Amino acid sequence: MDIEKPSNKTAGKPIQCRAAIATAPGEPLVIDEVIVDPPNSHEVRVRIICTSLCHSDVTFWKMKDFPAVFPRILGHEAIGVVESVGENVDGVVEGDVVIPHFLADCTECVGCRSKKGNLCSAFPFKISPWMPRDQTSRFKDLRGETIHHFVSVSSFSEYTVLDIAHVVKVDPTVPPNRACLLSCGVSTGVGAAWRTANVEVGSTVVIFGLGSIGLAVAEGARLCGATRIIGVDVISEKFEIGKRFGVTEFVNSKNCGDKSVSQIIIDMTDGGADYCFECVGLASLVQEAYACCRKGWGKTIVLGVDQPGSQLSLSSFEVLHSGKILMGSLFGGLKAKSDIPILLKRYMDKELELDKFVTHEMKFEEINSAFDLLIKGKCLRCVIWMGE
Amino acid sequence: MNNKSASPKAGKVIRCKAAICRIPGKPLVIEEIEVEPPKAWEIRIKILCTSLCHSDVTFWKSSTDLPKLPLPVIFGHEAVGVVESVGEYVEEVKERDLVLPIFHRDCGECRDCKSSKSNTCSKFGRGYRPNMPRDGTSRFRELKGDVIHHFLNISSFTEYSVVDITHVVKITPHIPLGIACLLSCGVSTGVGAAWKVAGVEVGSTVAIFGLGAVGLAVAEGARLNRASKIIGVDINPEKFEIGKKFGITDFINPATCGDKTVSQVIKEMTDGGADYCFECIGLTSVMNDAFNSSREGWGKTVILGVEMHGSPISLNSIEILKGRSVCGTYFGGLKPRSDIATLAQKYLDKELNLGEFITHEVSFHDINKAFDLLLEGKSLRCIIWMDKLI
Repeated sequence: MDIEKPSNKTAGKPIQCRAAIATAPGEPLVIDEVIVDPPNSHEVRVRIICTSLCHSDVTFWKMKDFPAVFPRILGHEAIGVVESVGENVDGVVEGDVVIPHFLADCTECVGCRSKKGNLCSAFPFKISPWMPRDQTSRFKDLRGETIHHFVSVSSFSEYTVLDIAHVVKVDPTVPPNRACLLSCGVSTGVGAAWRTANVEVGSTVVIFGLGSIGLAVAEGARLCGATRIIGVDVISEKFEIGKRFGVTEFVNSKNCGDKSVSQIIIDMTDGGADYCFECVGLASLVQEAYACCRKGWGKTIVLGVDQPGSQLSLSSFEVLHSGKILMGSLFGGLKAKSDIPILLKRYMDKELELDKFVTHEMKFEEINSAFDLLIKGKCLRCVIWMGE
Repeated sequence: MNNKSASPKAGKVIRCKAAICRIPGKPLVIEEIEVEPPKAWEIRIKILCTSLCHSDVTFWKSSTDLPKLPLPVIFGHEAVGVVESVGEYVEEVKERDLVLPIFHRDCGECRDCKSSKSNTCSKFGRGYRPNMPRDGTSRFRELKGDVIHHFLNISSFTEYSVVDITHVVKITPHIPLGIACLLSCGVSTGVGAAWKVAGVEVGSTVAIFGLGAVGLAVAEGARLNRASKIIGVDINPEKFEIGKKFGITDFINPATCGDKTVSQVIKEMTDGGADYCFECIGLTSVMNDAFNSSREGWGKTVILGVEMHGSPISLNSIEILKGRSVCGTYFGGLKPRSDIATLAQKYLDKELNLGEFITHEVSFHDINKAFDLLLEGKSLRCIIWMDKLI
């Protein structure tokens, strides 16, 4: 097969382009030329317009053991244009603007058809290094060595290949440097408040961890009409930032003195909050969040991803006695193909605010500085522009 | 309001028989006691019949470990009776009404009672304290004057008891007394857990760990809500035949699963895990199994069993992230004042089958036989008749 530079004649042929490759745990990504195969059946090849860095990318970049693998193209929050489609692809054509989503939505299986959950049973979620249908890769380096995928997206590349179950067509007039946020982090947080917890008007909400996910939960809780949104973090500056996202009160868990965070929150809320969200990824914080919830109906929602194999430990007597509910969700409980367009419309209607999440914008070549900023806690979302 | 009481003993102490526990784990002793008249917001009940619930047995066996259970004590909390007299300010019931004492409080007024989201009444705070809930004192005395303590704010193993009005619900006299008695704890707890807490819907798959009366009541509740598959898990193989009467469609004996775990077997049977899993024993290892048997995406695990040592449940955090939830419940999420009447009506309409729960009947003087039967696993509910000789 001839390998060509991208043009409108590239359909059906491999494309050579640049990608930022993770070569070893914690090492800066290397921008290099890669070969991207044409899409197989049920796949589309997409030219990425822009992509943003999410903490989950950092987690699997730093990790040494499986499910981390190297070399790998990370990135899963993005927006792009369809360059070509494989066989058996309906609903999406060349030129469409699409958002990839790491959580599959095939729309047909038992899981996708159920209103009670958002986990596709045809393509169950896992940190896979391959394309979901045939467990192979569409990426190679110039020597022909396989480069691995990341959660069926791999957006740190000028071109990527996506299964149709992981792609949603969106309004082409949306600003891409805002729409890409809905591909993961902001949707996860807003969805958690809206769909998973179903926060109602007048609720009291507590959010542990005011990173992008936590702030997106605040934004979602604000849209749902919560009256009190208490943010918990160890960095005091997060309160000023949080206020722009609807956070009404702040607890710095390092400045609680003798009392536990949960005791302070129970005192502040006269018995505990209606909804507590854990947005950090620590089993011990989940326990603290559970303790902050109101007895009788308090819901604790786990969003943070801890190390594989980590266990949440709860007193069985407390579970029985308290009437509280513990639950978790991926991607905020959203069904990507229906809910991403809904959230996009709410942004375009100026209800959902996305601009405040973007603290930095940069070129593809600067991608490693996005990692530095996120690791140092100096950014929310860095949007990386791929093309010219 | 009629101020003249028809009860000859209204306002006076009643002397009657009660089954008293003085030493944990030893047979109850029937003695004469004195029962004071009801104070404000209290009623005195003549118990017609009562039944033994495993929670009585749990506390009877280990009561010295529990600081909140002073001795001597009168156990029993599942019963039906007639109001003998009422204290001041009681308006909800009057003398001669048929009532159920309910260990799970419902004041109807506090924020929790008013919310549809909760059934944990917060009128007297959230902890449990022995004896009467408003002033912590007892209405029972030995003939020589020493205090005998109440249990779970009820104490039904006595011919007469005094109960706070927040622990009382009127019941229709059309329902047989033995059935009425069941609705005051175990059966309501199980049916409620399936109906209200889990919200079992048509076509769901359900797994129930522990097929005692509560587990079988969950099955009955799931059957009523038209679950398609109701899997019972128990180490006693006889429970399958018994379980079929309550809607159990499939049975797993953990002792005969071979290499597979119970949750693996359940996942195979349900193509990924059950929609709803219920733990009805009180063992954290089983609670963990129940959680691991629930379906990703929406699987709900409901804990009903009382684990006495407070040991922790251990849940894999990724499995929680995959859309699962865990909660516990007292009294099956029911609000006694509104929901018991609903269950009674479902029984009268022949939708809810409760007769099969009653496997034995004894007279009050044979109350210890009820304990033996339950401990030997030979009974579901044994009705103890206060007046009848069986």
